[in-house]
Amino acid sequence: MARVRNWQIDREMSYWYPENRPKRQFAAVFDTNKCIACQTCTLACKTTWTSGKGQEYMLWNNVETKPYGFYPLGWDVKLLGKLGGQKWQGKRYEGHTIFEAAEAGERVHGWRPDELDYAYPNIGEDDCTGAKLERGDFLTLPHNRWFFYLARICNHCTYPACLASCPRGSIYKRPEDGIVLIDQSRCRGYQECVKACPYKKTFFNPMTGTSEKCIACFPKIEMGESNQCFVNCIGKIRHAGFVSKPENVREDNPIDYLVHVRKVALPLYPQFGLEPNIYYVPPIHVPRPFLHQMFGPGVDHALEVYRGAAEDPELAALLSLFGSTQYIVHRFKRENDTVLGFDEKGDEVVRVPLREPIHIRQAWDSARSIARVNVS
Amino acid sequence: MKNLTALLLAVGVVAGCAKPAAAPPVEVEAARVSVLPSAPGDAAWNAAPAFTAALLAQDMVEPRLLEPSTPTVKVQALTDGTSVAFRLTWADDTKDDLPGTGRFVDACAVQLPAAASANVPAPQMGESGGTVEISYWSAAWQAIVDGRPDTLAAIEPRAAVDHYPFEAASLPEGSKEQKDMALRYAPARALNGAARPASGKSVQDLRAEGPGTITPAAETKSAGKGVRDASGWEVVIVKPVPEGLRGQARSQVAFAIWNGSHKEVGPRKMRSVWIPLALGAGA
Repeated sequence: MARVRNWQIDREMSYWYPENRPKRQFAAVFDTNKCIACQTCTLACKTTWTSGKGQEYMLWNNVETKPYGFYPLGWDVKLLGKLGGQKWQGKRYEGHTIFEAAEAGERVHGWRPDELDYAYPNIGEDDCTGAKLERGDFLTLPHNRWFFYLARICNHCTYPACLASCPRGSIYKRPEDGIVLIDQSRCRGYQECVKACPYKKTFFNPMTGTSEKCIACFPKIEMGESNQCFVNCIGKIRHAGFVSKPENVREDNPIDYLVHVRKVALPLYPQFGLEPNIYYVPPIHVPRPFLHQMFGPGVDHALEVYRGAAEDPELAALLSLFGSTQYIVHRFKRENDTVLGFDEKGDEVVRVPLREPIHIRQAWDSARSIARVNVS
Repeated sequence: MKNLTALLLAVGVVAGCAKPAAAPPVEVEAARVSVLPSAPGDAAWNAAPAFTAALLAQDMVEPRLLEPSTPTVKVQALTDGTSVAFRLTWADDTKDDLPGTGRFVDACAVQLPAAASANVPAPQMGESGGTVEISYWSAAWQAIVDGRPDTLAAIEPRAAVDHYPFEAASLPEGSKEQKDMALRYAPARALNGAARPASGKSVQDLRAEGPGTITPAAETKSAGKGVRDASGWEVVIVKPVPEGLRGQARSQVAFAIWNGSHKEVGPRKMRSVWIPLALGAGA
């Protein structure tokens, strides 16, 4: 085991390989408050990548309802239970990561899903906490009864458990963009990665005999375009880009701004120790203890900043860019009431007003002396 | 006292005249035959000496097998001078030949050094500069050779699938366009990856220079067949003698057994140490 730096848990930790960060790291921010669980992302991915034989059960992208939704069944609560206490001291995680908690003979502390665990991709869908609404359960923040939607893809982690667990070295992290891939010519289907990945985003294909996973639509990334599940997102909850290490932050990089500068987007279960690179704006209406466990100690700050976004022109500007272009925005700039996005070469690829112009259509058409009706 | 002494002497004389128990063989002896058997039930095996190889849990490199399973494998070997046929017989209560998530298959492997050398490669998959040649047999591959369709329905009989895009009515069945499209959703097949044997084979030839380095040989020249009854498996692997061992009368051989229902796969296996191998008059 090597010692590596994991900024998300604010300390060094043990990992199977030495620290070897890519030239740049593919990353994204998902705003959970905007997701409506329409599953358009799920279908966009399914149609593009997993319509083959042996892939029927696979959802490289899925959206589950928390707290009762899981794909596969119990993916997070099983590991949280196995891992034991996960104590934070301020920003520093004092418990064990899944690499530090590995049992004798194992590289990673994991668990092996059963085949049937994948059979309920929409379990718990729209299920609210609590048995029934009672007096006093009027709308408050956080809600007394609540659920939220969690969209998930591979986190293309800085310290992938799948990569660490593969005894054949069949999994690699691309130096050019940090995307984690399984070499389909080398994999022999041992399923160690399926056992190791805490997010359960590697899948065994019984027809090819190999494990497969989200490839972050790397052919599109190479062309400067966003992934299929991003561009098809109806709720415009996703923004793709590249995240820097904390010491290399660039304020005009959208992902850096959200993750490092304003700290409004947080990693999913940072205590697992993988330094995942899909960041989430937490839901505003969910009790804090649940969010602290899921997104770490930065939740209170993130929500405070997010709830002030309407009066925060820079943040409002950047949030307006979500889902506004098929291209990856490497740099953004606000000019008064407009936000501009630029590609890697510096060319403008999108221009969005912070506030859409409002036109009020009067109910009475005085020119024709007739009342308008709302039919299209 | 005299009587007791006489009795002891008499017992000693009788014991001395009794036929001594045959010492267990200390090596795998490949007897010379003109035609190698290709199936476990071939009568040629009746005369082949048997060696019982003790198996150890692979507990040297992670991920390890911490709970031992199959304790021994019975090994017989025959050679025609260019190839060696091994018959491996081991106990296994369950037939595991269907791959799936969290579901693993029974398997076995034979390992030989790629070349004769005073420095024998490490018994666990060889080492850098010490290549080993491995022939791996899988119960899943055997089932397909024996006629199980290579289809999802054969693996998941209860699966119901609405539609595959490459089976749309607009694509003629069996056309190049259809096959190309299907391969786009199965990159491992498109690449002829390491996870599947050559078509029609239940055995795959591999080379390794240490744990984690196993790579399919350019061509699988070995052949094999496995059968089972309620007690376990009998598998024959016919393996060409590695070029580096041609003409050698002696070498080493090692074996590995995987019990699928014990979640054994890859490095999680039962394996032997190097065992001396006598190749008749030299292969």
